[in-house]
Amino acid sequence: MKKKLAITPEQVAAFSIVHQEPDWFAALRQTALGQIEKLDLPIFEKINYKHWPIMAANAPTLTTSVTDTLPEMVADLTADQPYVIQVGQTIAKLNLPSELAEQGVIFTDIFTALQDYPELVHEYYMQVTVKPDEDRLTAFHTALMNSGMFLYVPKNVVIKQPITAYYVQDSTQATDFIHHVLIVAEQNSEFSYLENLQTMGDHKNLANMVVEVIAKDNSHVHFSAVDAFGKSVTTYLNRRGHLMRDARIDWALGFMNDGNIIGDFDSDLVGDGSHAETKVVAISTGKQIQGIDTRVTNIGPRSIGHILQHGVILEDATLTFNGIGHIIKGAKGADAQQENRVLMLSRTARGDANPLLLIDENDVQAGHAASVGRVNEQQMYYLMSRGLSKEVAQRLVIRGFLGAVLTEIPDKNVRQQLTDTIERKLIDGQKSEH
Amino acid sequence: MSKLEIIDLHVGIDGKEILKGVNLEMNTGEIHAIMGPNGTGKSTLSETIMGNPKYEVLQGEIKLDGQNILEMPVDERARAGLFLAMQYPSEIQGVTNAEFMRAAINARRAEDDQISIMAFLKKLDQRMAVLDMTEEMSERYLNEGFSGGEKKRNEILQLMMIEPKFAILDEIDSGLDIDALQVVSKGVNEMRGDNFGSLIITHYQRLLNYIVPDFVHIMMGGKIVTTGDASLAKRLEDEGYAGIRDELGLDIKLTDDESK
Repeated sequence: MKKKLAITPEQVAAFSIVHQEPDWFAALRQTALGQIEKLDLPIFEKINYKHWPIMAANAPTLTTSVTDTLPEMVADLTADQPYVIQVGQTIAKLNLPSELAEQGVIFTDIFTALQDYPELVHEYYMQVTVKPDEDRLTAFHTALMNSGMFLYVPKNVVIKQPITAYYVQDSTQATDFIHHVLIVAEQNSEFSYLENLQTMGDHKNLANMVVEVIAKDNSHVHFSAVDAFGKSVTTYLNRRGHLMRDARIDWALGFMNDGNIIGDFDSDLVGDGSHAETKVVAISTGKQIQGIDTRVTNIGPRSIGHILQHGVILEDATLTFNGIGHIIKGAKGADAQQENRVLMLSRTARGDANPLLLIDENDVQAGHAASVGRVNEQQMYYLMSRGLSKEVAQRLVIRGFLGAVLTEIPDKNVRQQLTDTIERKLIDGQKSEH
Repeated sequence: MSKLEIIDLHVGIDGKEILKGVNLEMNTGEIHAIMGPNGTGKSTLSETIMGNPKYEVLQGEIKLDGQNILEMPVDERARAGLFLAMQYPSEIQGVTNAEFMRAAINARRAEDDQISIMAFLKKLDQRMAVLDMTEEMSERYLNEGFSGGEKKRNEILQLMMIEPKFAILDEIDSGLDIDALQVVSKGVNEMRGDNFGSLIITHYQRLLNYIVPDFVHIMMGGKIVTTGDASLAKRLEDEGYAGIRDELGLDIKLTDDESK
């Protein structure tokens, strides 16, 4: 049953006026709004989210969020690194060191970018990686986007300091978080970008995020994320990379949300020799459902797409990993590998690991491994025989299991942050099991 | 002084009785060796003392300082003072050796009395030096990618760090070359003292040249059939299990190899 979206073109137009959007952008919203009802929800194998309140949006309005209770991590941010803290639609802090600005680096909120760099945004926004009419959720996103950031790194610019973003979904009030991140890495550029997703408050809300990464020839983007949205948020999170000749994206994604969420992480390996490494660690606890659909499509010859996903499930939670490796005809010498593993800690946990290889070219390398299992009893016995309690031993085994992915994450701080988050979630999950 | 008593112990696995009435008493300050042919239940005995849930105690008791430990899960037994150096230690990725040993030490201490990092590292350095281990090994993941010899050494390192009352060494000598055997023995000998007792399970007499036992027990057919001092091991070396069996007039079938 398709529920009618109670948002009118006039309401959306009014929102465009509030932000003084360029005409083409306002028109893009209107077109998308008209398409929502005609398009279907995307299908993710074994993830049934049709009944989720993922489309029950309010009319778009400009809201202001209180920013005086910022997350603790903010203390670690220094003036010489580029960072942003965005709470709901409000930019609380934004820092771009002047030497980066002088080199032409742009790091600004999406509405400012629409005013100051309309051509750049126009060229890429929902044009390259994701199209507005791809499905109902992307159309919904295009019509109602209400916050976001734009990051542009010019040709040959290498940024040493990690660019850090905190996107805090504001659930202290009833407001949708429809957020867009547009990242353009020009030729030969290289940088690290770390995204932290958090929630404050406990109102029931929806979040719909699209993150686009356009990696031009020979660029290298280190993309890390610590996704930790709160329990009351229902989320659709789409991260998509478009890789051109010899470009590389290293995705390191920690999926540690407390609410129901679908993650759709895709890399289109368009250029010859382009390379995407996708590493995902996930923990599901409580009664939540987390579904992750990770796809790598090899289009360019000699392109490389690797997926490594490990996840742990506690209590009555659900975690589904879909790994899709698609090699298109003509992608000679392409390489698509994936490993999806899920570890269940309770009898009532539900887990799935589904690898899917679609190969339309002969001259390729492709492989997959998948498993759904329980904690290794021999390892537990070994650790406990040294005096560790069952809980501590379990946490160590899990850390080891997730460590297979964590050790592959190059940034030490991200690794530490993920390790800490994992530890906290495990302790909380174990508490409620006893 | 602590005492470990095994009284009329019968143990089965997968419905088959392996131990058929083992009796053994040991005190701290003593080193006991158990020798026996393959398949006679030596490892079953060590795993049962430690509390491996795979083994089912059918009858009998195990007491530590008078307290029955059979109802205690493995981690409680460990904290009560038992240690088992395993034949096949598990590999745990993502957990460093040092971090694991610190957690093990702290599991025995009160929350407000955890070992300081400095004190821990000092102790670790000292013990690793005894065992000729490089510092790098403490930062590697627990047993991951360790050679057979490195794993055995690492078991002894854990033993020396944890300092249990009683350590069971289950075929610690299997697969070790003579150099590694000497190092492992050095570690165990270092532990010798009034507050430490050890039960050494072995198939070969060779180990007992380096760790000289106070008592030697011969196990056959799921029971301890005879007990003596270190000279018993030497006698066994000469006569073989078949000789001892015949001397005792036992009706036990040995594999071809061992009856020679």
